[in-house]
Amino acid sequence: MALMSLSLQGQNTKRKMSESSTISHIDRKVPVINFDKLETIIKKNDNKLYVVNFWATWCKPCVMELPEFMEVNKAYRNNPNFKMILVSMDLSKEVDSAVRPFILKHKIEADVYLLDDNKRMNQWIPAVDAKWSGAIPATVLYRNGVKLEFRESKLTKSELEKLIHKYL
Amino acid sequence: MKKTGIILCSIILMSIIVQVNAQKMETKVDYKGYKVGDTATDFKLKNVDNKMVSLSDYKNVKGFIVIFTCNHCPYAKAYENRIIGLNHKYAPKGYPVIAINPNDPKAEPQDSFEGMQQRAKEKGFTFPYLFDEGQKIYPQYGAKRTPHVFVLNKESGKNVVRYIGAIDDNYSDPNDVSHKYVEDAVDALLSNKPIALTSTVAVGCSIKAL
Repeated sequence: MALMSLSLQGQNTKRKMSESSTISHIDRKVPVINFDKLETIIKKNDNKLYVVNFWATWCKPCVMELPEFMEVNKAYRNNPNFKMILVSMDLSKEVDSAVRPFILKHKIEADVYLLDDNKRMNQWIPAVDAKWSGAIPATVLYRNGVKLEFRESKLTKSELEKLIHKYL
Repeated sequence: MKKTGIILCSIILMSIIVQVNAQKMETKVDYKGYKVGDTATDFKLKNVDNKMVSLSDYKNVKGFIVIFTCNHCPYAKAYENRIIGLNHKYAPKGYPVIAINPNDPKAEPQDSFEGMQQRAKEKGFTFPYLFDEGQKIYPQYGAKRTPHVFVLNKESGKNVVRYIGAIDDNYSDPNDVSHKYVEDAVDALLSNKPIALTSTVAVGCSIKAL
């Protein structure tokens, strides 16, 4: 299940990882998508609770909260009704130079996408939440296309768990 | 029946606890701040040249382009040249740029006053770059990220907020901008026309306060 949720590349990939790395950390792909595509990923009618975190590799509070997000993801990822998705706001030209090395180094096991829709920020930010100023990190919970929660702040592990417990 | 009641009670109690916690959390970031049409407060903040600056120091202006920005944030950096450009274009027309760093250096060491002085020198800022010491001014404005712009217009002696938001619609590529939000707002004020878009949002760095 966990493996399935990861985007793995083909067989002929360069193995640069150390021996101790698991296969799930090898050559993680980070699809670069626009907001329309993102919506099809996070607003599925499949009864899953989607925990969607907007972040960037250069964003300190985002990077600070990620280890605890990963702990929570680890605890829930085998639950078929749970899915964590990280949406990177890094520049699309930095997907290979910054984002992929970051998720490999920090063993980020949630699905990671890079949202490249800079010119429409004034449309998609209010579409995510009318109160969102655009500051990151921000975390949104969806189920069956319905937004359940929105937080424009860094979350602790217990804060995130409390949000999830409300729905799982 | 009794059991169900107890379970129900504890569920209600739990949800109250969760709600209270959620509210607590939001009070950390959810400052009221200004809406378009509100009167903005003046301030007395230290500039990178060590002199104190207030809006009331400016006698012959029509308004201000107040920009909360900082040293460390990639979005803020991406806009530095455009901020210089805004001051170059609009200070002579009566709308000078006033930049304010809202971040607490204890939370983000790169945004120290010395860091500001260095950045202003490197980039050749032609406008004040003020330090919101104690982080007292940005919550009143309701700035939430860097960069975050407040266009103020002088009306009957007051500084009235006429635009809140982003500088333009493309932080990553200044050559591919379709909407220059701040320029459009100030141009509208200069020609006594209504501002088409009075508020916008864009991704930015959260303001770092302890």
